[in-house]
Amino acid sequence: MAKLSRRAIAKYATEQISSGADIKKLVLQLAAYLVDTRRTGELSLVIRDIQFYLSEAGSVSGVVTTATALTAETKKAIEKYIKQQTGASTVALDSFIDPSVIGGVKVSIPGRELDATVSRSLTVLRTRFKKA
Amino acid sequence: MSFINYFAETAAAPEASGSLLSALGIDWRLLILQIVAFLILVFLLGKFVYPWLMKQVDERQVAIEAAAKAATEAQASAAESKDRVTELLAEARSQAADIVSTAKLEAAQMLSASEERARSTAEKIAADAQANVKKSIETAKRELHDETLELIALATEKVIHTKLDKKADDALIVSALKELK
Repeated sequence: MAKLSRRAIAKYATEQISSGADIKKLVLQLAAYLVDTRRTGELSLVIRDIQFYLSEAGSVSGVVTTATALTAETKKAIEKYIKQQTGASTVALDSFIDPSVIGGVKVSIPGRELDATVSRSLTVLRTRFKKA
Repeated sequence: MSFINYFAETAAAPEASGSLLSALGIDWRLLILQIVAFLILVFLLGKFVYPWLMKQVDERQVAIEAAAKAATEAQASAAESKDRVTELLAEARSQAADIVSTAKLEAAQMLSASEERARSTAEKIAADAQANVKKSIETAKRELHDETLELIALATEKVIHTKLDKKADDALIVSALKELK
């Protein structure tokens, strides 16, 4: 079997998703291919590439990290912000709660990251204004 | 008195003058012989003794003159030596004075240079000490600033942890998104 590049795999998966193919079946195919070609170590990179191509196609998926659970309104505001910034038509977000961020929000989308957390502000305060 | 009378008697009897020498007890032949002997003696003395004697005298005179000359020369030399010694002494005194003067000058210069070096070193030490103090102050200030910053960050973190509720966090997120637009 010819070895496909990671980009080719990602492009294929993106096209399948965009054309409305069965996601479950696509995931199984992808997993089988990676196992067969002994490239399971590239899984996270393939997923990142798929997310990148999907975002180029107008479907952005990302991760939102906050200290507390997001309300529906806040989540909508974040999605709206991402749509404005990327021009995407659809936005899919996975929410994570991490108390260490203290407050604010951290949004990670393919190719970009927005960190408006309190912990980052404090880190900036500690590092940027440090003289020693 | 009898001798005068004898002469008067003789003068009064001129016939008896031929025998005057005889009367005087002088034998004229003996006299001639003695004259000849004397002349021979004079000749011999003049021929052999006087030249040698004169030669000795001349030599002696020459020696005396040479000795006198040598003495004069020695005296002159001594005088000259004395003058030379005086001159040398004067020169030596002058040189000694020069050496002392130069030594004093050099000592003064060395002292001055030493003072200058000491002053320069003291100034450098003082400047270094000031720089070190300044550096220490700057370091202390910087450390204080950083520690203050760390304390502010920690205090802010603690306050926010306790004060930031869900509602405030949502408001913070919305506000951050608005600011980013």
